[in-house]
Amino acid sequence: MSLEILAYPFLFLGLYFEVFMLLTFLSGPAKDRRLRVPGLNTPKVAIIVPCWNEENTIDGTVQSLLALDYPQEKLQIILVNDGSTDNTKTVMGSYQGNLQITIVHKENGGKHTAINRGIEIATDAEFVGCLDADSFVAPDALREMISCFEDPKVAAATPAMSVFQPKNLLEQMQNTEYIVGIAARHALSAVNGIYVTPGPFSFYRRSVIEELGGFRHAHQAEDMEMALRIQRAGYEIENAPRSRVYTKVPRSVPKLIKQRTRWTTGFLRNVMTDYRDLVGNPKYGILGLMVLPLGFVAIVGGAFLFIVALASFVLTLMQRYSLTEGIPLSYTLLPRFSVEWFYLPMTFLLLTSIVVGILSVSLVLIGRHVSNTPAKVILGIIGYTFIYAFIAPFWLIRAMYDVLTGKRRAWR
Amino acid sequence: MSLGTRNALLALAITVAIIGTIVAAINHLDRQRIAELDAIQSQLATDTLSVETQFALLENAPCADLTAGTDLTSEVSSLGDRLGIAESRLGSDNPEVLRLKKQYTLLQIRDYILTQRIADTCDIEPVTALYFYSNEAGACESCDRASYALSYLRQTYPQLRVYTFDYNLDLGALKTLIAVEKVEERFPAFVIEGERSYGFTDVETFQELFPKGLFATTTATSTKAKR
Repeated sequence: MSLEILAYPFLFLGLYFEVFMLLTFLSGPAKDRRLRVPGLNTPKVAIIVPCWNEENTIDGTVQSLLALDYPQEKLQIILVNDGSTDNTKTVMGSYQGNLQITIVHKENGGKHTAINRGIEIATDAEFVGCLDADSFVAPDALREMISCFEDPKVAAATPAMSVFQPKNLLEQMQNTEYIVGIAARHALSAVNGIYVTPGPFSFYRRSVIEELGGFRHAHQAEDMEMALRIQRAGYEIENAPRSRVYTKVPRSVPKLIKQRTRWTTGFLRNVMTDYRDLVGNPKYGILGLMVLPLGFVAIVGGAFLFIVALASFVLTLMQRYSLTEGIPLSYTLLPRFSVEWFYLPMTFLLLTSIVVGILSVSLVLIGRHVSNTPAKVILGIIGYTFIYAFIAPFWLIRAMYDVLTGKRRAWR
Repeated sequence: MSLGTRNALLALAITVAIIGTIVAAINHLDRQRIAELDAIQSQLATDTLSVETQFALLENAPCADLTAGTDLTSEVSSLGDRLGIAESRLGSDNPEVLRLKKQYTLLQIRDYILTQRIADTCDIEPVTALYFYSNEAGACESCDRASYALSYLRQTYPQLRVYTFDYNLDLGALKTLIAVEKVEERFPAFVIEGERSYGFTDVETFQELFPKGLFATTTATSTKAKR
């Protein structure tokens, strides 16, 4: 049996999910969300910025918040220094006296404790938002976000996240991935399938947080855990596709692997333990029946396929070596191409991969279009297609190893 | 029905339709490949006729006019490659593939005999190699390596004529050739310059089976030694 056949189920599921996303994107409810315009309603909001050793980026983050198009008296910015050991405290100090800004210093206790401290302070806010201290918002982002909360069933809303000034190939690749995420969250919001409210600029209805309790450590995935808790409680999570927020991303492969290992272990641990009851549960609709199971399949399948592909590659290499042993390289390495269709290897795997690729590019273009995110996607798509596939398995395998062995890693 | 349920079912139907279309497209391509095999058949017929004509001409024509024209055409060489691909894509038991393979085998045998006849008549000695392989599972572990080595030698030394035969092909002429050349059912089997040998270890050892002149000269044939 060819090893190729092992890829078929994963390709089918990948194709199925992409078709589902595109269908949902084209549906009426998604269209209504795209046509939604920010209202004049300006309820009181508080934005919490948890900081731990963010001396280089916190200033830019605060400046972008101060530039938000929102009545000053309705917007409270809470900077929570979670026991930083660098110059973060001093940088924060420069905002002392700004009536919009509240500064809190506390012992280091983890991001969730910093957010909870901010929530405690934001007593009169109707909505509470979080913004990681390495992220920056567009001026109209808050108004776009608030427009998501017209329905009282909506407990949280997510923004359109992309990479802050992507320069190198790795950042471009991540930007493309984030833009796919914009399309995905936008489509999933129409079927209440969002399973994570990311750190950069997600908003929550404060009354719901009071009802459900504050943020938890949740295996270093407090944003995912809160989203799953909201879903379990029967609330909805919305998405504001034009609420743009730009975040800094890892600029090296090891840092990227570390970050993604944390995200993946967070997903696996939450979904496999505390929120296992959501998986496959029709009560939670698309989230329970499709998003969470497929997320799990994507992790396991990605790692599995990489191992299979690697084994197949090594096997082919060995066979090739055995076949060509003693034959000069000048003959062996000579490319033999033929334009005749007769020789084209039109296999099921190749054609299905091409279709999946085309749909993936469609999602990138949709993400860019609905969020008006300025992005050079071509370089990102090339990198995402040909390089990401070789990096991602490392964090998938590492995450699974960590989960299976119970290994815990530091945040950074 | 909720939007999620409706889209999930619709997406399933569309995905199945896409997969079905891909499978249909591959089947269509395979059918096209079979149709393309008809062109191979036509080419085979032409080349067979050409070989027959050369046989007839040989009766009267002087050797000087014949020796340069007995190579199988380059089209026929590529026919062998195409047949190989068709065999791997459509299966070695595909009736169309089997039919063409038999015709191709016949053409090779005719060309081999013609080459031998010219060699005898015109006092020249072409370098020929008969190569017998088996597609049966486990029958020939080193046939792939032998095929690759022969491809390399044929491409590097164009004067070398390689005739490749599926030992188990159900074809009377081939069985006769096997009997005449006394080739045993051991693979890979070679008849090089009339000498039988079996097995393949490496290219270097394999090259020792050929006349040394092959690797030192670029002429298509060598003058037969005085007997």
